[in-house]
Amino acid sequence: MHQPRAQVIAVSASARARGVHPGCSIAAALAMAPQIVLHARRPELEQATLEELAAWAGRYTPQLSIAAPDTVLLDIAASLRLFGGLQMLAGEIGSAVAALGLHVHHAVAPTPRAAQWLAQHRPGCLIDGTHGWQEVLDELPVDLLAGAGVSTAVLELLATLGIRSLGQARRLPRAGLARRQGAAVHALLAQACGEVADPRLSYQPPERHRGHLLLPHPSTRIEPLLFAVSRLFAALEGWLWAHQAVLEDCRLVLEHEHHPPTIVDIHSTTPTRAQTQLLVLAREHLATLTLPAAVVAMALESGPAQRAAQRSGDLFGPAGGKDGDAALLADRLRARLGAERVGSLCLHADHRPERAWGITAAGRRGNCDSLPAAPRPLWLAQAPRQVGRATLTLLEGPERIESGWWDGAPVRRDYYLARDSRCALCWVFEDLDQPGQWYVHGLHG
Amino acid sequence: MGAPSAALASLPAGLVWQGNQLAAASRPAHPTGFAELDAELPGGGWPGGALTELIATTPGIGELSLLLPLMRRTGAQQWLAFIAPPLLPYAPALHAAGVPLERVLLVRNGDAAQTQWAIRQACSSGACSAVLAWPAQTDNASLRRLQLAAEASATPLFLFRPPAAAAQASPAVLRLQLSAAPGGVSIHILKRRGPAASAALHLRLPARTDTTAPPHAVACPAPARSAPAGIYPRCA
Repeated sequence: MHQPRAQVIAVSASARARGVHPGCSIAAALAMAPQIVLHARRPELEQATLEELAAWAGRYTPQLSIAAPDTVLLDIAASLRLFGGLQMLAGEIGSAVAALGLHVHHAVAPTPRAAQWLAQHRPGCLIDGTHGWQEVLDELPVDLLAGAGVSTAVLELLATLGIRSLGQARRLPRAGLARRQGAAVHALLAQACGEVADPRLSYQPPERHRGHLLLPHPSTRIEPLLFAVSRLFAALEGWLWAHQAVLEDCRLVLEHEHHPPTIVDIHSTTPTRAQTQLLVLAREHLATLTLPAAVVAMALESGPAQRAAQRSGDLFGPAGGKDGDAALLADRLRARLGAERVGSLCLHADHRPERAWGITAAGRRGNCDSLPAAPRPLWLAQAPRQVGRATLTLLEGPERIESGWWDGAPVRRDYYLARDSRCALCWVFEDLDQPGQWYVHGLHG
Repeated sequence: MGAPSAALASLPAGLVWQGNQLAAASRPAHPTGFAELDAELPGGGWPGGALTELIATTPGIGELSLLLPLMRRTGAQQWLAFIAPPLLPYAPALHAAGVPLERVLLVRNGDAAQTQWAIRQACSSGACSAVLAWPAQTDNASLRRLQLAAEASATPLFLFRPPAAAAQASPAVLRLQLSAAPGGVSIHILKRRGPAASAALHLRLPARTDTTAPPHAVACPAPARSAPAGIYPRCA
């Protein structure tokens, strides 16, 4: 089932409580805690997670690179002032990463390799570039060199020489070590100390974002799904910040085991990058959704991104907050009730009363090329309702409306203002094609 | 008798409310556009940020015309929400009355729960200049929730309710019963923060003043014979 020498790489808190620790063999772990659940390592998922993290981290700096298998390097020198200093920035990244559902070890150092080593061995260590900072590296174990490409033979050589820490390795004679195939040791140390340049391949976030998430437990309930969705939106927001972009549309794909995926299209009237706003809309969509089966995985695909309008921050809070509220309200209503049931009104230049109006997307200014104003009622019936002539008292009229003979819906009517038996003021007409047939078409509300 | 009233008069305004006065509105009210009605309402207008119930005997007696002055004041970044209206608010008439059509937010055909939800969202978003709603059925708890939502966001909320609702208690701060009257609408104030209103208020509505002529004036119009179909100038 497992490879004979397979090891445990990471453990959960409950497994750790039973004595399982990283580095022990599978057999030993099963002996200590037979009920543990083993998951095979999946390098492609690890790589995808690293890339997702890198794409997300683009909001803090455009200069970043991935150091496989487990590290993302951010050049934050230029971002310190914007984010209020080293402590503030490190704290913000730490708490924001938690929203992605990830747990990270971080460290800050003047060189990428030093930061990488410190994150592995002294997480949380923040070193600015004061004189003599390299001494911190001296205490780190020499085993770190193995991860940086130093051969096992050289490491064994260092072990037989009694070298335990990087500081001891640094003090070895350079020429002698180079003669014994150990030149890489000094080269790495020089990079870590900033004596030699350490160029890294810059990571470019992809042009379209697609976040994918496997749910640990398939679920049909909304709360766990929303929690997972919030993680996907956090990643999307980071990607949008990195691109300085905003978007109107995104698509949430809920994958089931034996059913075609459920697709939720999320639309925001105002282009946005705020995950809170998108999450509110996603919540409305999910609340009305009936899922055919449990969701096992979900994906979030960004629609076409637009370049965000650059605007300086306002001293007195964001401007146009009201406008944002209004758009968000319309979006939420549309998401929950359906787009066809929420809208604004517009006019059509047509003499037929039932065609003189229309519904547009909420907030969109329709054409206002109205016809010459004639008195019209504030209420229009969905369809004319036939009434007996005797119940009506005609007050004004007639206004002849005869139109539409060219498009198959001809109308020949004489409209009157009338009062009905309940004293409501009505807009009634007599159909000229069927004289004597009277209809109520509107009410003067 | 005189001593207590003198003592009361010396207190700072607003500390003690006397039953024969209209209460001072806690928020600035929105003038209704009708001076006679303003004079009868606490604060001098529609309550800003509270639930108002309008109980009309039947649609078509001027219940919307009453709110037209308020609707005209909808700002460029606000909605004028019509939630579950029983008929279609007719765009040409609203346009002619000066209501900005692109700021109308029309929500149609929901079930009772969805309508309630939409009203509450519209109120609590604070993005509406006014919310006009026709809920199918309401109980006291949901009315109370709506009242709180309107209060929290200072949104005037108007619920149009059937005549049967007049007999029920309601948490609305203002309840008006509307009935048809020639040339306007007759308003009976069922509840307000102030002394009970004795007489019904007769309000002349501009859109109806030309209908004050005796009802039989055009009772028998000369039957206009239909002309043959053809092309006519649009503004004929």
